[in-house]
Amino acid sequence: MADANAPRKLTFKILRYNPRLPGDKPRLQSYELEESAGMTLFIALNEIRDRQDASLAFDFVCRAGICGSCAMMIDGRPGLACRTLTKNLGAEVTLAPLPVFELVADLSVDTGKWMRGMSERLETWVHAKQGEIDLRRIEERMDPDLAEEIFELDRCIECGCCVAGCGTARMREDFVGAVGLNKIARFRLDPRDTRTDEDFYELVGDDDGVFGCMSLLGCHDVCPKQLPLQTQIAFLRRKMLKQGLA
Amino acid sequence: MDSSQNVIAGVGLADRPRKSRWPARMDFAQSASGLALGLFMWGHMFFVSTILLSKDAMWAVTKFFEGYFILGTAYPVVVSGVVAGVLALVVLHAFLAMRKFPANYRQYRAFTGHRALMDHGDTTLWWVQFLTGFALFFLAAVHLYQMLMHPGDIGPYGSADRVWSGRWWPIYLVMLFAVELHGGIGLYRLCVKWGWFEGKDPAASRRRLKAAKWLLTAFFLALGLATLGAYMKIGYEHRDRVGERYTPSWVLPDPKEKAQ
Amino acid sequence: MKIVYTDVLVIGGGLAGLRLAIGAKRRGHEALILSLVPAKRSHSKAAQGGMQASLGNVAKGQGDNEDVHFEDTVRGSDWGADQEVVRMFVNTSPKAVRELAAWGVPWSRVRKGDRQVVINGQKVTITERDEAHGTVAQRDFGGTKKWRTCYVADATGHAMITAVADQAIADSIPVHERKEALALIHDGGRCLGAVVRDLTTGEILAYVAKATAIATGGAGRLYRSTTNAVICEGMGHAIAMETGMAALGNMEAVQFHPTAIFPAGILVTEGCRGDGGLLKDASGHRFMPDYEPEKKELASRDVVSRRMEEHIKKGNGVKSRFGEHLWLDITLLGEHHIRHNLREVWDICHYFLGVDPVKDLIAVRPAQHYTMGGVRTKPTGESPTLKGLFSAGEAACWDMHGFNRLGGNSVAETVVAGMIVGEFIADFCDRPENAATVPIGLVEEFVEREKAKLEAIVNRRGGEDPSALKLEMQDLMTSLVGIFRTGPELERAVDGLQKLLARSRNVGVKSSAPGPNPELVTAYRVQRMLKLALTIAYGASVRTESRGAHFRSDYPRRNDAEWLKRTLATWKSDADTLPTLDYEPLDVKRMELPPGWRGYGAKDYIDHPDTPARAAEVEAAKAAAADRFALQQALMPYDQLLPSVLRGRNERIDEPF
Repeated sequence: MADANAPRKLTFKILRYNPRLPGDKPRLQSYELEESAGMTLFIALNEIRDRQDASLAFDFVCRAGICGSCAMMIDGRPGLACRTLTKNLGAEVTLAPLPVFELVADLSVDTGKWMRGMSERLETWVHAKQGEIDLRRIEERMDPDLAEEIFELDRCIECGCCVAGCGTARMREDFVGAVGLNKIARFRLDPRDTRTDEDFYELVGDDDGVFGCMSLLGCHDVCPKQLPLQTQIAFLRRKMLKQGLA
Repeated sequence: MDSSQNVIAGVGLADRPRKSRWPARMDFAQSASGLALGLFMWGHMFFVSTILLSKDAMWAVTKFFEGYFILGTAYPVVVSGVVAGVLALVVLHAFLAMRKFPANYRQYRAFTGHRALMDHGDTTLWWVQFLTGFALFFLAAVHLYQMLMHPGDIGPYGSADRVWSGRWWPIYLVMLFAVELHGGIGLYRLCVKWGWFEGKDPAASRRRLKAAKWLLTAFFLALGLATLGAYMKIGYEHRDRVGERYTPSWVLPDPKEKAQ
Repeated sequence: MKIVYTDVLVIGGGLAGLRLAIGAKRRGHEALILSLVPAKRSHSKAAQGGMQASLGNVAKGQGDNEDVHFEDTVRGSDWGADQEVVRMFVNTSPKAVRELAAWGVPWSRVRKGDRQVVINGQKVTITERDEAHGTVAQRDFGGTKKWRTCYVADATGHAMITAVADQAIADSIPVHERKEALALIHDGGRCLGAVVRDLTTGEILAYVAKATAIATGGAGRLYRSTTNAVICEGMGHAIAMETGMAALGNMEAVQFHPTAIFPAGILVTEGCRGDGGLLKDASGHRFMPDYEPEKKELASRDVVSRRMEEHIKKGNGVKSRFGEHLWLDITLLGEHHIRHNLREVWDICHYFLGVDPVKDLIAVRPAQHYTMGGVRTKPTGESPTLKGLFSAGEAACWDMHGFNRLGGNSVAETVVAGMIVGEFIADFCDRPENAATVPIGLVEEFVEREKAKLEAIVNRRGGEDPSALKLEMQDLMTSLVGIFRTGPELERAVDGLQKLLARSRNVGVKSSAPGPNPELVTAYRVQRMLKLALTIAYGASVRTESRGAHFRSDYPRRNDAEWLKRTLATWKSDADTLPTLDYEPLDVKRMELPPGWRGYGAKDYIDHPDTPARAAEVEAAKAAAADRFALQQALMPYDQLLPSVLRGRNERIDEPF
């Protein structure tokens, strides 16, 4: 009989597909691995690549849950692979690349291109006051609570989980997603940004923006940084409505 | 550093044509019509369920809406007016909601695949809302057309006859579930969509809202089933006298007394 | 052959590269960034605790200024730093914080009135001044006299790179993501761009530029146990060295961070100790005061890491199935502080260790953390030996860190060097004589050479396994070229690495599929990583003294008489199995702060013969000077080294204009 303390045998079913390999077709490939203490998907996938299949493509950078590179569909839900402990998963784990984003190969997707497009479209930077800042002078003061509120929204790591978890984004490729709406909420809060609600309406006041959101809250529930997306999108919707009805 | 300041407010924005205000208006109209319809449905359910109290109660409610207690005479056309208004709201709401529907097979597949994979409560609820909403296009339209054209047929016997002898009960049964699910989910979604009742702890509020939503749905389903059952029973008992109008007990002598 | 032309080619999309590109672009030059990953995913993001800038806003930072920051940095470097560069840095760092504040970084701010902090294990009440309310706040960090580290909770690097990368987008600077530079194109005297592999398609391209900047960060992945991201493999260092002309400075200076969580090696910030956290051993004893009575947990990183390992060697470590470790205790900081100012730490403990730092101890052990060495540059950021090649940030040996970097000085260096080098690279491009005439044949030659190397690897069946080679290298480095080093161990390391290098020339892959081919990436990188590993190990074996993070158990004293000099390593020929080492002396006679005791760590060192005379000169100047500015000017003028737009004093609450 199986020893209760014996390590589990894990089976990883991984979606394999290299779009640049002529004739390659998407398929699920299984790999078996013995579980070790503290094993994360980062450790598991590297072990598979080092010992079983050197061609397996995936993306890790910080492997500490802060850079957002390794988002993938883990048993059907988007999440950060690096900080997912295998002990919290079943003995059979299905891994697939994030949808919506362009596939590089296997578990690797091009989130960078999507995010850059979003940033350009929504102008996700501080539109500062005209005139130069004198870097030698004491910085402009800001209320400590406000700074913390801005930081709360600034914590987004652009991992793409919210987009992959969004039914609207899955259906409509031009939808800005929670990541985009959160950014607008962040800059709206920032007194250093001179844009008004009229300006923000130009960016997100349509069905590809805040009014396209169907409030499925997939974004809110899968966000690895627990950003208050539900609250922020609702808030932005009210403000944009006010602007739209004005 | 003068070079750090070449990005100024509204760069690129000024040159664009101003964005249409219609998406905002439409989003508002969708929510407002949904809220109105949702609240109307609850009211409607309370009104029709008065049959559970007594036929007299239901008769009184009907006559109240026909203006009987204000104008001294019943004008069923008043009901037609209300129905026309509701129908208009339904059409508006459906038209606006259609914007959110999958527009082609690719979108349909994307969403159903996503829903199945994610297994996420609120996403699944939207799909339920989509399906029930789609069903209501037809069910509500048929029901409302009937009410629009035959406003005078509402009453303890008139309604019961329609349910039973008119064989409307299957459609009402399906519609009951469709409406209660659609409306309940819709009202919950309105709350999270606009951030109502969020309070200090939005996660806890959402849990409470969802619990309230299920309780209300269960309550209205139970109420609706009981009400439908009551009409079916009355309709069944009244099957031989279809077309007869109900006369309140305080107008006629008590039938039981008469029998004695 | 596809050629992309630009004015400034920046290799590396982290904070240094981004800021440098912004500087060049705002001066009217086309700048283009190559990055292995989307810019915001760069390792700059991992900087948690903060950035040092002597703003002196908080009560515990009052009295801070450039002079104090300068002295802390030089002492931290164990006198290995270029003091002029340190001066340039400390004067620009406050400007960098203020620029970032204007760009939207949500710096944590000072709140007026009383607040409770933990200092030396005791709860203390500090009163912040009314006039400081709302200015950028500072926290305590190791090796500093004042609270100087400006922070955004414990996600400072994240907030900084988000703001800077967004500014780069605002300035329409293209970032070519998933692109790796394989070689620098040069004509024997001038750098002209790079040969680049597209990591998505596998395609080889050429990028041609007037100026090329290497801002590729560190090389932590040479070690098995490191806090560095998996992309920190030192490829920028390597391609610079492979030119045979650009030199790498001080590669043996490798920093180990005291608090990497055990065994995963993920960093928890120095801010934990700065905010009052304590180090404890298996018996729960706070041991640092026994070794370092002055600075305790907040001595410099090299010292704390050594003390920790020393304490473990004495048998005081906590034994676990993965080996021994020590404890970091931040429970005394309280839930509110941890949940607000150390939330990243909470996340890491929660997700990777399964513990709650509000009530549990955190298992830690030192791990490789920072590469002090890098592409040797002049104060302008340009290589003194290869024209048109610039470098900034961790990849560079600009040399403000010497043999040990202070916490909070690295993320500060990225933006400060970016600002300064960005101006100089623009100056370089402005000069008509630097207009590049690029012989296409030369570009083609470099491209073909790289293609041939890759084809050889792809076509080699049954060659050496690249990931096995890499693991062996990492094990050698961690076990033999770590915190404590000895001659015999270093010789074994050099010997072992040379054998691995020879084997790596026969590396092969199993798959020749087009596209990303991760195995091929490991294969060509491991060849270069081994050269870097050898540069570190060989440089360490030759340097028979202890300085900063380079500690030789067999030569425990700092030896200024013989070793007050910078190691310069070049790789002359591809057939070589060792770098060529040269040494660049540091001139004590020009030092503003002559060598002495650091204020923590070992007190015995061998003086340089010039030190006493210079020390006397400095003392005399102190007596004669009217104020601190005049003194500084008298001892070591540096203003002329800065770009004119970045010169000038910094305003403080206590030093108003």
